[in-house]
Amino acid sequence: MTIQAWMMFALVLFCIGLYGVLARRNLIGILIGIELMLNAASVNVLAVNYHVANDPAVGRIIVLFIIGLAAAEAAIALSIILAVYRQRTSIDVANLEELKG
Amino acid sequence: MIAAGLVMVLTIAGAIIGVGARRIVHAIFGLGISLAGVALAFGLLRSPFVAAMEVLIYIGGITVAMVFAVMLSSGGRNEPGEGLLRRTLAAGAALLFLVSVGLVISGTEFGPMPEAVDEAWSVQQIGRDLLNRFNVVFELLSVVLLLAIVGAITIAGRGDESLDPAAADEGWA
Repeated sequence: MTIQAWMMFALVLFCIGLYGVLARRNLIGILIGIELMLNAASVNVLAVNYHVANDPAVGRIIVLFIIGLAAAEAAIALSIILAVYRQRTSIDVANLEELKG
Repeated sequence: MIAAGLVMVLTIAGAIIGVGARRIVHAIFGLGISLAGVALAFGLLRSPFVAAMEVLIYIGGITVAMVFAVMLSSGGRNEPGEGLLRRTLAAGAALLFLVSVGLVISGTEFGPMPEAVDEAWSVQQIGRDLLNRFNVVFELLSVVLLLAIVGAITIAGRGDESLDPAAADEGWA
């Protein structure tokens, strides 16, 4: 596989995630979209790491950091989702409009 | 080559289930399929250690946590689905991004593949770099993870008060 093929694959994955973030009204659905986008970024980094970079350990460490940060982000997001559900028994983004200008 | 194509098809199919499924539990299963495909892609890109971490943390941790979140909330069962307008606009924005960045990628010339020695690809090298060159980032990430756990417990962990709506409201104030 060429590097272009891997990057196109990562781009398609990213765009599917972007569609999920924009189209979903469910908070967990939005979180799924964000995870897909983060994974697309990881695939992109590893593709460049495999095909172009001189120091292959660096790209893999970057991806490990992305995975770690994604875990932290998912924990916070899920706890916010639970808190929102507890307060208003709904996780529809259309109901979250206190800060609407 | 064929393996890479199969992995890509698997990942994309899982991702489409993940964003398209009506029931949110099905969407989480689609995300799991997609993450498994991404882990296989990492393996094909000569990083089996990262692939193992992907399986452990994403499939074993994040998707399971999402399933728990669905079990503890309604999972959006009693809510209306997305309107056609919203989905069309989202698809339009995603397609715009796809085409514009795709043109950039296809128009870029990448250099030749470098000759990295096998030593540089070893897992030992990841460990050495984590504790030497990237030591500060590594420690910072552990602090971030600790803060995320404490923050998640603080935000979500109002166990007893939540049974009584009035007390839960006071807790929020």
